[in-house]
Amino acid sequence: MKLFKTLLVASSLLALGASAQAQDKPVYGVLMKTLANPFWGAMEQGVKAGADAAGVEYYLQAVESDQAAEPQLNTCNTMLERKPTVMITAAINSNILLPCLKRANEMNIPVVDLDNNLDPAVTKEAGVNITFHIGSDNMAAGAQGAEYLVGKVGKDAKGPVLVIEGLSGNITGKKRADGFANKLKELAPGLEVVASLPGDWDRGKAANITNDILTKHPDLVAIFAANDGMALGAVETVFAASKGEQVTIIGVDGNSDAVKSIKEGRLTASVAQLPYLVGKQAVENVKKVVEGGKVDEVLFVPTLVLTKQVIEDGKEPMLEFVK
Amino acid sequence: MATGQSAFADHWRNLQFHFDTRLHLRLESLIVLLILLIAMSVLSPYFLSVSNFLNILLATSTIGILAIGATLILSSNGLDLSVGSVLGFSGVAGAFLVGILGWPWPFAILGALAAGAFAGAINGFLITRTRIPAFIVTLGMLGIARGFALILAPNGGAIYGLSPEIVFLGQGRPLGIPTPVIILVMTAIIAHYMLAYSRFGRHTLALGDNEAAARATGIAVERHRWILYTLSGFTAGLAGLVFMARVNAGDPTAGLNYELTAITAAIIGGTSLFGGKGSILGTMVGALIMGVLQNGLNLLAVPSFWQQVAIGMVLILAVYIDQLQTSKEKKA
Repeated sequence: MKLFKTLLVASSLLALGASAQAQDKPVYGVLMKTLANPFWGAMEQGVKAGADAAGVEYYLQAVESDQAAEPQLNTCNTMLERKPTVMITAAINSNILLPCLKRANEMNIPVVDLDNNLDPAVTKEAGVNITFHIGSDNMAAGAQGAEYLVGKVGKDAKGPVLVIEGLSGNITGKKRADGFANKLKELAPGLEVVASLPGDWDRGKAANITNDILTKHPDLVAIFAANDGMALGAVETVFAASKGEQVTIIGVDGNSDAVKSIKEGRLTASVAQLPYLVGKQAVENVKKVVEGGKVDEVLFVPTLVLTKQVIEDGKEPMLEFVK
Repeated sequence: MATGQSAFADHWRNLQFHFDTRLHLRLESLIVLLILLIAMSVLSPYFLSVSNFLNILLATSTIGILAIGATLILSSNGLDLSVGSVLGFSGVAGAFLVGILGWPWPFAILGALAAGAFAGAINGFLITRTRIPAFIVTLGMLGIARGFALILAPNGGAIYGLSPEIVFLGQGRPLGIPTPVIILVMTAIIAHYMLAYSRFGRHTLALGDNEAAARATGIAVERHRWILYTLSGFTAGLAGLVFMARVNAGDPTAGLNYELTAITAAIIGGTSLFGGKGSILGTMVGALIMGVLQNGLNLLAVPSFWQQVAIGMVLILAVYIDQLQTSKEKKA
């Protein structure tokens, strides 16, 4: 009886995948972090659109969460068994995939860093050759936030500004905060960054920081947060203190919560990353490389400042990439 | 016809008996593994190759080492939920000694193993001396060890770049076999002998079967449990060492949620969640069932969400087969 049941399970498994066959066509391997996140979901759609347009097949894998580092390494090794034409990877951290990517190099499979998760210094030291890195320019995204702020309040404006950084030590958050602060100094020296504190990507922590700084500087002009979650935390504090008219709040990412808040007139602006475009351009550039062309080692995909006006007008051509 | 069938059934039972008594391995789990291997070979043209099999073994190594500790603990009717965090803590501790303090490389090995065993010894001490349930103590340790891992690592980031000797433990391939696989196999052989054939193993199973009876026969129950939790911490430290060497970094987020995967491997392999029954060989088969399934589903490009569904179903199926077996034994 038991044997019968096990056989039943086995035969249904066999039936399940009877369509699987070896492929001789070129297949691009795409390894993401997790699809349980709208950002990566949008990037997957971009990869699909890019692959459809370029007429190439792709083989996409992801792991269960963006913390599952070792499973991602194992998945990467497994993917190499299918000998993809190229490996496009969004590594969970800057070192986990290195043994696998080194093996890809040895197998003459070009490696592409999707969304700038690898540190060129670390990959060079490990002897891993990356064909190109592609993603948003975080420094430029921060600078765009500063440009928007100065455009709104004027270059002669004066007053205190708060910067909420990401997780302390995290390079992405640091670049955004630095990009903002440097550009602000250049464009409107009267606007002074009175505090630049790590909010650890945490909405609640950002709300608390905002509360503290508002107490100290009741005349706060603006807040720049290194992601939307923290910006939305700041929004709650600012509106609770009835200072929504006074304080301009800018986040980064352009996620759906932020768009909703902007439409409601609470969050002022968000510098939107365009993961759909990152995925699409990654595939397009890979095709160029595979066909023998040359691309730059670091490719930046533009970011877009979303405001209530931009969203409501709907004229901005890049809006279609905000997913 | 009827006689033919009963002859087959006799053979089957005979075979089961031999596997059980000689190898301490449940025949059903081995058959599930074989069926999976055959199914995946048929389904994916990329599956059946030496390099892919080494991939599977390599991918199973850290979980496999943790599952050895889990088998010892579960057989004694204990529970250790802290091993994933202890894995992370041990790796960071080892990397801290050489990467931050600049001590010679052997200290990365000693440090990781000592850190794991130390955390396990504290678990054992609290469980046997304070009578706080193991569930609570090890749940507490899950938080404490993870916290210390993050404290030791600068800014909560990984300590990257260890010496080549250490990296060899994770990335080297003596005789073409990845070092973590060799470490796993050696650990499994030692632990299998311990649990199946030594006095220590008999006491462990007796303790899991009936603690009062074990005490009555003169087994030093508290001391024995303490040793078991220390061993569980030690295997977590060993897994942490392998993980650290594989990625060439002490990563404070390493091993997140691994405790449940390790327990799952042990249970699929026939170890009882309620003590008294456990086999290291079975656990290795259980870990391989999960490894093969994961690898095969990856090769077949099955989306990751469905992979989780499939692995959950295999767990339930494996325990169901076990239940059928047990209820039949009771009837007989």
